[in-house]
Amino acid sequence: MIVSKAKERQDVINMLEGVSSVFLLGCSECASLCGTGSPEALAEMKESLESIGKKVTGMFVAKTGCQVLGTKVELKANKEEVDAADAILVMSCGAGTQSMVEVFKDKKVYPANDTAFLGNMTRFQHFDERCSMCGECIIDKTGGICPVTTCPKGILNGPCGGTNNGFCEVSPDIECAWAKIYARMERTGELEKMKQIIPPKDYSKKLSPKVFVIEKKKEEK
Amino acid sequence: MKKLKEALEAGEFTITAECGPPKGTDIAEMLEHAKHLLGKINAINVTDNQSAVVRIGSLPVCRLLSEMGHDPIFQLTCRDRNRLAIQSDLMGAHILGIKNVLCMTGDHVSAGDHKTAKPVYDLESVQLLQTVAALNGGHDLAGNEMKGATNLYQGAVVTPEANPLEPQMLKFEKKVKAGANFFQTQAIYDMDNFKRFMDRARKFNVKVLAGILLLKNAGMANFLNKFVPGITVPQGLIDRLKAAGKEGALDCGMDIAAEQVRIIKEQGIADGAHVMAIGLENKVPEILKRAGIA
Repeated sequence: MIVSKAKERQDVINMLEGVSSVFLLGCSECASLCGTGSPEALAEMKESLESIGKKVTGMFVAKTGCQVLGTKVELKANKEEVDAADAILVMSCGAGTQSMVEVFKDKKVYPANDTAFLGNMTRFQHFDERCSMCGECIIDKTGGICPVTTCPKGILNGPCGGTNNGFCEVSPDIECAWAKIYARMERTGELEKMKQIIPPKDYSKKLSPKVFVIEKKKEEK
Repeated sequence: MKKLKEALEAGEFTITAECGPPKGTDIAEMLEHAKHLLGKINAINVTDNQSAVVRIGSLPVCRLLSEMGHDPIFQLTCRDRNRLAIQSDLMGAHILGIKNVLCMTGDHVSAGDHKTAKPVYDLESVQLLQTVAALNGGHDLAGNEMKGATNLYQGAVVTPEANPLEPQMLKFEKKVKAGANFFQTQAIYDMDNFKRFMDRARKFNVKVLAGILLLKNAGMANFLNKFVPGITVPQGLIDRLKAAGKEGALDCGMDIAAEQVRIIKEQGIADGAHVMAIGLENKVPEILKRAGIA
């Protein structure tokens, strides 16, 4: 899921300088699981903003905030509340925030969260980054563990000199990706494969902004 | 004094040392240290923003040392340059008369003095070696033909005391396959361990220079053990440094370094030694003298 972190409250307040009324929008998907866009998080934000004299005209938790059309339809019921607000404060990821930018052409839209990474929830509300969406998956060659993401240097061909008893020189909290890859490929009997040199990555696959359109299959007659 | 490639290919015990360019434009002290080494060593490494701390670039310093009469080894990391800049610098090294390049991935920016910088790592050490091989063959990394190839002697690094060792050895093999001609190792202190490593390294057609890091005092040895992955200073050496006292510690460290070089040479354990004195390059001639070299 997309992991988001709440911005420092003071930063949100600074962002809202000159704004006296806001509409709050959350998201029931990732941001709710992260606790940054759930009904509880919205209620807490409402209370906090009201305590410094801001007016909250209304709030709503979108089903899927990054789904532009669906969210637009959902928000029809809240039209008056949105119209009455100087700005929309979006408590989701950056994609959800920009859905609102697209739907409300003339309204100020601000982010309450920082979008962090694509994460696996490995324990309750504990997220680990395993995939960085590089556009060219190579984990068939690395025992199913992504060195692009889990090695801070993104090394594709084995551990650097900073590998340290299974951990990384960058931080004692990070396991050495290549120690893990080796151990796993040893277990799965794939060490021979590990001897092949992996070529430089094709970064053209990661050029932003990206567009992806699923082509409709031709109907068979 | 033979240059690096000639010395290694002639099978001579080869000595390299290392100098780190300073932060700032006053390079007088570094050049003075380098002068002391003229005629005593086969080649001199010039570090590339070592420990991710911003300093003068390796390439211009290589050129200055070359003009002085040294055979410089251009250390090149992947941390600060993408594949375009790397290839430009390699061709640049060639036209500046630099003959050797040491290919490394590079310390992470989190270790350095610009922690908010964006690390590049478009390539890493194995791919960098392949890049040098491509340029030596007259083609760039995208396969385009070059007007004039480079002619660079390719070096790489290895950590004989890495833990776990097996993945490190696998990478060593990849570096050989990618075109490495010679290796300079991370600092080694335990000679039995190093011999075991060399038994495996000898199966490949590459030259290996043992990394000898001058211990300045017991505190430095403890620091290495605690904070630098892949370096283990045995307790026996730490005790010797302690026993030498404050006044005698450096002299004792020089003795230790000299003994190591002597053992490696006399027993033919490796093809040479890479002596790292970190700012005390002026002590290197004395270390070599004590080791019975020159």
